[in-house]
Amino acid sequence: MANKGRQYLLYADEDLMSLVEGGDAGAFAALYDRHSRAAYSLAYRMMGEKQAAEDLVQDAMLKIWRGAGSYRAERGSVRTWILSIVHNRGIDQLRSLASRRRTQEKVEAEAPRSQPSEAFAESWRNSQREQVRAAMRTLPPEQLKILELAYFSGYTHVEIADMLDLPLGTVKGRMRLGLQKIRAFFDSRDLAVPQ
Amino acid sequence: MSEMDRARFEELMDSYVLGALTEEERLEFEEHLASYPERQSEVDELSATAGLLALYPEEREPPEDLRGRIMHVVEAESPERPQQAERRTVFGRLGELLSARSLALGAAALLVVGLFSWNMVLRSDVQELQSRVQEMQVSRDARMITLEGPGLEQGAHVELIVAGDDRAILMAENMPPVPEGKTCMIWVIDDAVPKPGGLFDPKPEAVAAVVEEPLGGADAVAITVEPEGGSPQPTTDPMLSAEL
Repeated sequence: MANKGRQYLLYADEDLMSLVEGGDAGAFAALYDRHSRAAYSLAYRMMGEKQAAEDLVQDAMLKIWRGAGSYRAERGSVRTWILSIVHNRGIDQLRSLASRRRTQEKVEAEAPRSQPSEAFAESWRNSQREQVRAAMRTLPPEQLKILELAYFSGYTHVEIADMLDLPLGTVKGRMRLGLQKIRAFFDSRDLAVPQ
Repeated sequence: MSEMDRARFEELMDSYVLGALTEEERLEFEEHLASYPERQSEVDELSATAGLLALYPEEREPPEDLRGRIMHVVEAESPERPQQAERRTVFGRLGELLSARSLALGAAALLVVGLFSWNMVLRSDVQELQSRVQEMQVSRDARMITLEGPGLEQGAHVELIVAGDDRAILMAENMPPVPEGKTCMIWVIDDAVPKPGGLFDPKPEAVAAVVEEPLGGADAVAITVEPEGGSPQPTTDPMLSAEL
């Protein structure tokens, strides 16, 4: 059993997904160990507190366990798929909350913090994380705020326009410019967009 | 949605990948995408860029017990789970035992206790259970009832073994953990009135408990989470229940 556990460490994410689809709990544990930190970090950022973040990760992870067959490698990496499930479930939960505790202040209070050089030393995954943060730092605050309100707080573009008292077209335009700028950051450094 | 022109598609695409469309717009967009699958790669590419935002938050280590809770459910659902067959064997053997007409009561009681003490954690000690089992009338009327409810989603498996004289043993396995200071309580519901049927500590291992209230004429049995020591009335919704 211990040998099998060690063997999982050698498998690529896509191979683990095939095993998970066949009901292999050990393969799922290996996937959890690889990606739970990123999943929990995203969940915490979206939900804003520990218990709700734990519930969201549990909900998403069990969806992944039960729906492993719906993963399509041609659509992106396993990590992207896992994080997209956490994100989509998080948006569903935020939108179904009876009282929305999300406020503009919350977004401002949780403004990005940079964690410079030490991240580079840890692993290539952390290196990617740092690249993403660097890309975000190139965004003008008004674009960053709109991306955050949409992606992390689950507001629709219509709600964001109302909240910030901006025309809907302006909100859409800033979303587009923000995404283009992130893409351009990677293109300009000959970096592939992490999948 | 019948037709969406290119401009509208592009107008909605950024909001779509960020999850910022209204429900109506999202359906409209996905309907269009289903009709024009050649545009999927464009959406995937932009989704990859939007997905980078997931790596932006400050890193946090998930709590250690979260892994345990998730794996508890996963292992319970895994078809490779070795104890699954074992559990069926135990439940099956007990069911056979209780319906075995020819079996002498004393031997039945010993066998029941033998099965339980083999790998189960008992709420009370084995001797107490043995004396309670010996009081039960074993006949071909004995039956097994599976409890259902939200607890199933967390991997719990609970069966009620009802003997001919309407006394019962509850066997629970893979029970989800309850908060500190709480325990599980059995209720026998008769004419919408819940009567306390005993307590048991939820554990991942198998747990057996004698239902302390006779089931004669009762409508249902339920399990709720209550403060240690029990409650005079249920204070939470049933996590599992079965109609009798």
